[in-house]
Amino acid sequence: MRYEEKYVKKRKIISFIALSLSTAAAFLGLFWLGFILFDVLRHGISGLSLELFTEDPAPPGIPGGGLRNAFVGQLEIVFFAVIIGVPIGILSGIFIAEYARGTKFARTVSILSDIMVSVPSIVVGTFIYAILVKPIGHINLGGVLAVGFLSAMLSLVFGSILNFFVTNILLKLIKLSSENAVRLLNLATTTTTILFGIFLFVYLLPKLVDKIQGFNGWAGAAALAFIMIPVVLRTTEDMLSLVPWSLREAAFALGASYYNVIKDIVIRAAMTGIFTGIILAISRVAGETAPLLFTSFNNSYFTTNMNEPISSLTVTIFVYATGPYEDWHAKAWAASFVITFFILFVTVVARYIIHLKYKG
Amino acid sequence: MNKVKKLPLKDIFFGIISFSASFLVLTLIFSVIVVLYKESSLAIHKFGIINFIFTEEWDPVKQVFGAAAPLFGTVVITILSLTLAVPVALGIAIFLSEVSPHILKTPVGIAIEMLAAIPSIIYGMWGLFTLAPIMSEYIEPAIQKTLGQIPLIGKLFEGTPQGIDLFTASVVLSIMIIPFIASISRDSLNLTPDLMKESAYALGATKWDVIKDVMIPYAKLGIYGGIVLALGRALGETMAVAFVLGNRHEITTSLFDAAATITVTLANEFTEADSDIYLSSLFYLALILFVLSFIILAVAKLFLLKVERGYSR
Repeated sequence: MRYEEKYVKKRKIISFIALSLSTAAAFLGLFWLGFILFDVLRHGISGLSLELFTEDPAPPGIPGGGLRNAFVGQLEIVFFAVIIGVPIGILSGIFIAEYARGTKFARTVSILSDIMVSVPSIVVGTFIYAILVKPIGHINLGGVLAVGFLSAMLSLVFGSILNFFVTNILLKLIKLSSENAVRLLNLATTTTTILFGIFLFVYLLPKLVDKIQGFNGWAGAAALAFIMIPVVLRTTEDMLSLVPWSLREAAFALGASYYNVIKDIVIRAAMTGIFTGIILAISRVAGETAPLLFTSFNNSYFTTNMNEPISSLTVTIFVYATGPYEDWHAKAWAASFVITFFILFVTVVARYIIHLKYKG
Repeated sequence: MNKVKKLPLKDIFFGIISFSASFLVLTLIFSVIVVLYKESSLAIHKFGIINFIFTEEWDPVKQVFGAAAPLFGTVVITILSLTLAVPVALGIAIFLSEVSPHILKTPVGIAIEMLAAIPSIIYGMWGLFTLAPIMSEYIEPAIQKTLGQIPLIGKLFEGTPQGIDLFTASVVLSIMIIPFIASISRDSLNLTPDLMKESAYALGATKWDVIKDVMIPYAKLGIYGGIVLALGRALGETMAVAFVLGNRHEITTSLFDAAATITVTLANEFTEADSDIYLSSLFYLALILFVLSFIILAVAKLFLLKVERGYSR
């Protein structure tokens, strides 16, 4: 055999071995997936029953009962997380993809939220604990923040109504000759708005603060919302930047304002993508445990009151799985089964929608 | 009259609202550091930085706290799980981009990504009830009989195999981070221009030659990015590790010993902290973890941004 042929043969063998190893790696990955899913299925399905969803837990050590409190609590926490997180995520995504497109500010927010997507979720838990759970002296910082947020929102609404009134009605009735007078009027409107906000804050503070103390459902929802925001923000930004610029130009040419372009053209075109992003964000936070451990904590009784500690599926799984009773383990497996297959189902459906929309 | 047409009112209004939303996001991110620093200031003043990092003692009764043991556990588990995950993940990436027949690419790709979608608490449950017994009965004794007999390396595998130890935790974690590395590496490998691959084939290269000498060098940055991203994920993973690690604040030489990581310490002790300095030390741990993972994730992002910029040119 000539030297070259031997050399070629050697290279072919090496290539074959390397490629077989990579195939083996793929099989190993599939093996782990199958192993885990099969195990969850095997243990979980025997624990499934109607009582799991309709009954509250029995006292520790006594078999029977269900996890109704955890299912309801989980739904409630995730629901409020969506209410808080999705609007903020979408709005800021729109801002950095449209109004601030290409600016340093937009890049900073985008990169930072990309990093925040992967930041340890337990750190988020400690952060929310510090601002929403841990009372500082006699006042609760979280309550103060919540009141501040509320009064800011209300004064924003008040200010825009006032501004609308001034520019559209008042200025038409009395014709102001100099530009300085208009400026003065604007300044007056702004000052009134700010004063209104401060008044609201001072007025509401003693009424609302101190209602929430210690571990509470709001803190859990806030922690999950904190995790959702960067995910939703980044998806919105990506989906909006996929909308061709010429589509916007066509609308501008018809005399539409940017707001109308965003509302009627861009958002519509990117709707499916944004919606899928929200679904994926929900499935991501639905399985989070670490941020709930010291925010919404746990509650072995049924409650829908978000001001109290509230039970969630994932924390219940953690407590039950590390607990001493066989019955608890079975319940933990059943809950794991429900949560895993819910998340996998949602993920696969969402990915399929994306596949249909953007690759098909 | 103004010559330039003024922005419509609704644009100003909507712009302000959406700006305040994105400004809020920015504020939230920065306030994490500020709040964690403020909460841990008590411990920072009492224990200092260097002293805290290198003190092994963690004694709530004597109120002496040091981060050496959880930091050590975090580093060991992260390194070990990356060592286990990287070869497998790269193999999967190569399989998905080059080896697999076309019909298998999408289903296998989705299956690997499903590994990433499984919540970490499920990994923890599975690790505790399924993997740990297998580990303590079969795999760990087998390792002790073979690798454990080698003089120096044997130190790593001493002790009774319990299944609840650094090794099991690393295995669970490695399975968790495989999909991150695999999917980013696959995407980067797929970006290699066909022209380059075809030129190599035309020179008589085998498939492996093309992968090794053309595709991997081309996708290098993306693969690094994926690995560093997985590193950041592994550092901060809590629930998958919390079940199978025990919570033991000691630095051990054996991988078959229980240990602690920062995340596990936080998860187990945060709600039990009964004194201000205890809680403050836990916040200090959280601050260290946040800063560490933030830096690592920023590096990963830097790699991936470079990739993006390189290809869009």
